[in-house]
Amino acid sequence: MLQAWEPTGTWAWEPPPEPEINEEDPLPACTPSPQDLKELEFLTQALEKAVRVRRGITKAGERNKAPSLKSRSVVTSPGTTASTPPQSPGQAGGHASDRRPTKGLRQTTVPAKGRPERRLPSVPDRTRAGIGARAPRPGAGLRNQHMAPSAAPQAPEAFTLKEKGHLLRLPAAFRKAASQNSSLWVQLSSMQTSDSMDAAAAKTQFLQNIQTAPGGPLALNLPRLSAAEVEAEARRLRKACSLLRLRVREELSAAPMDWMQEYRCLLTLEGLQAMVGQCLQRLQELRAAVAERPPLPCPVGRPPRASPSCRGGAEPTWSPQLLVYSSTQELQTLAALKLRVAVLDQQIHLEKVLLEEEMGCNRGLQP
Amino acid sequence: TCALWQLLFRVLSPLPAGNALASIALEVQARLVKSALCSQGYPRLALAQLPEDGSQGSRELLLALSWLLARGPVPEQMLAQTRVPLGDEMTVCQCEALASLGPPAPHMEAEGPVDVRHVQWLMGKLRFRWRQLVSSQQEQCALLSKIHLYTRGCHCDQNLGHLSVTEAEMLRDPEGGQKLLRTLEHESRRLEAVLAWRRAEPVFWQWMDTVLGTCAPEAPAAASQPTFLPWVPECGDGELELVVRELQTLEEELREAVERRRVAWEAKARGCGRGPEWSAARRAFRETVEKELGALQRCWEQDSGPAPAHGPHRLVRREDGAAGDRDLQAAELIRTLRSQEACLEAVLRQLQGQCRQELARLAGALPGLIWIPPPGR
Repeated sequence: MLQAWEPTGTWAWEPPPEPEINEEDPLPACTPSPQDLKELEFLTQALEKAVRVRRGITKAGERNKAPSLKSRSVVTSPGTTASTPPQSPGQAGGHASDRRPTKGLRQTTVPAKGRPERRLPSVPDRTRAGIGARAPRPGAGLRNQHMAPSAAPQAPEAFTLKEKGHLLRLPAAFRKAASQNSSLWVQLSSMQTSDSMDAAAAKTQFLQNIQTAPGGPLALNLPRLSAAEVEAEARRLRKACSLLRLRVREELSAAPMDWMQEYRCLLTLEGLQAMVGQCLQRLQELRAAVAERPPLPCPVGRPPRASPSCRGGAEPTWSPQLLVYSSTQELQTLAALKLRVAVLDQQIHLEKVLLEEEMGCNRGLQP
Repeated sequence: TCALWQLLFRVLSPLPAGNALASIALEVQARLVKSALCSQGYPRLALAQLPEDGSQGSRELLLALSWLLARGPVPEQMLAQTRVPLGDEMTVCQCEALASLGPPAPHMEAEGPVDVRHVQWLMGKLRFRWRQLVSSQQEQCALLSKIHLYTRGCHCDQNLGHLSVTEAEMLRDPEGGQKLLRTLEHESRRLEAVLAWRRAEPVFWQWMDTVLGTCAPEAPAAASQPTFLPWVPECGDGELELVVRELQTLEEELREAVERRRVAWEAKARGCGRGPEWSAARRAFRETVEKELGALQRCWEQDSGPAPAHGPHRLVRREDGAAGDRDLQAAELIRTLRSQEACLEAVLRQLQGQCRQELARLAGALPGLIWIPPPGR
């Protein structure tokens, strides 16, 4: 997409608001048709070739005149004026194309881009004929060149995101659809959070009733943990686990210098032992609660983008939030760090497996 | 009735909708639905006893559907699943990664001795894949960033400011753009439908109450539960499992160490009987240790900020990197990730040290084995 775009379709070349950009776009009122753009592409390729040839030729001056004359005749040949909204036929078309070059002249100062002074006759005839008046811009360009010959070939006039990206406009139909879509999502979210008392009460009532209705075994009505609570607790315990682990390692590997340190180490270890026990207990309770009453109807699908645990019950928004970054480097750092954390997770997992294996071996070896 | 089975199947299925699903026979779908509901704790036995050919039981199926609807925002979740992504998205949470880890596999005995070279080869392959992933992701980021930069000022939504790849692609390929537009409009229609449902919901619940009322009292049959197909993975539990195992290992280790040291210490302390200064010193030590451990506990007790927002986020490039209060900032995420990285690195180093110790012990225990540890690492 960053390379030159194949002009296969109509783009919304709406007149950009800023005045300075107007200069760059020599024909602000035009909407180039697909055909035009294709021809344009051909032309620029041919022109590029011409530039290359021309560079080897020293005599620039005479050539200027010849091609410009030729181009003018080509330009004024009554062709379609498909590019201009007021579709004027024949003569008027000729006039229009005559006028256009001058307009282009006034406006285009900088982008006398790569308009070589010479158009090779060897350019495929069909393109030349086709281009004719239907590509008024090259005509304008050529005229420009005539007035201000610039020998420096520049980038071809094909569409590149880099140069013209900011001129793009999304089609109106899409804009409308997108805004409607996003407002609907917002409505949905707000409806979610402000769930009417009636509906919520009705649901709870229904759930209770269905428990006690005939045709099903009775089940205890345990309080349901919200998925968010479960998740928060799980996160805490995970963090606890890794912190405890780190601390235990430190204590076990520290070589006590004297009896005081030894005693202190012992106390610490005992304390840590108690904490580990507590955490384990909480975890078991959490697990039991989750098993009894799954906080969410779990298998509402595991789409490739979001797992069900992602939609932890308290999630009020259903449309994506933004992630703002300020530079390429920042984005890359973020992505790299994400991967790094995942890699470390994996490495730790593997290391644990290895450790288990080794400890197993050691235990096996001991009589 | 058939339609209800299929609807329940679609709702309960963990797989994304597709042609593959549609081709599953009705009986199979029905069986899977029963199993899924059972594993979720659906209280009505009558459903489990329904014939699977779709000949009867529409009331039970309706009740089951209502049960699901009552427990969670089913339509919204399904919409979120199939949402059209207009932006370039990145996920922040590790949910996906953990989900794919799955529940811990039962301890498998390898058939015969495993060649360590094979393991090394696998490790090498794994490392290579990681490197590939990193470099291709970096490239993708660079390209994304360029596109965002070049199309700044284009978007009708000022908040976003630039086009995403999807949007720019739509401009380049109008046909694809039309398709996208149609999908978007389709989604909007579905959104409207869900909104209408929400508004009319109270009526539905009133009706369902009456449906429940029509259930004839029957003696619940002997508990012939359907075979528990391990089709519906339990979400989130795999992760808890891992933590439990880790803590249990830690507990075991601590128990041994503490016992050992306690015994050693008692022996020492008995040897040199100390007076009141000793008990004062002991108290002092106890207090210090308690304080330290208390601080440690606070490290995780205090909720580590709000949960990292789940799901995909739309990438937006801004010069100043400013973000609304509901949005995330890359800089902050980077900070969080760095601290996570540091923590994980510490854990990994520890583990590696332990492994080395164990390996050394192993090598020492085997007579005649020459152990040459690798340099460095």
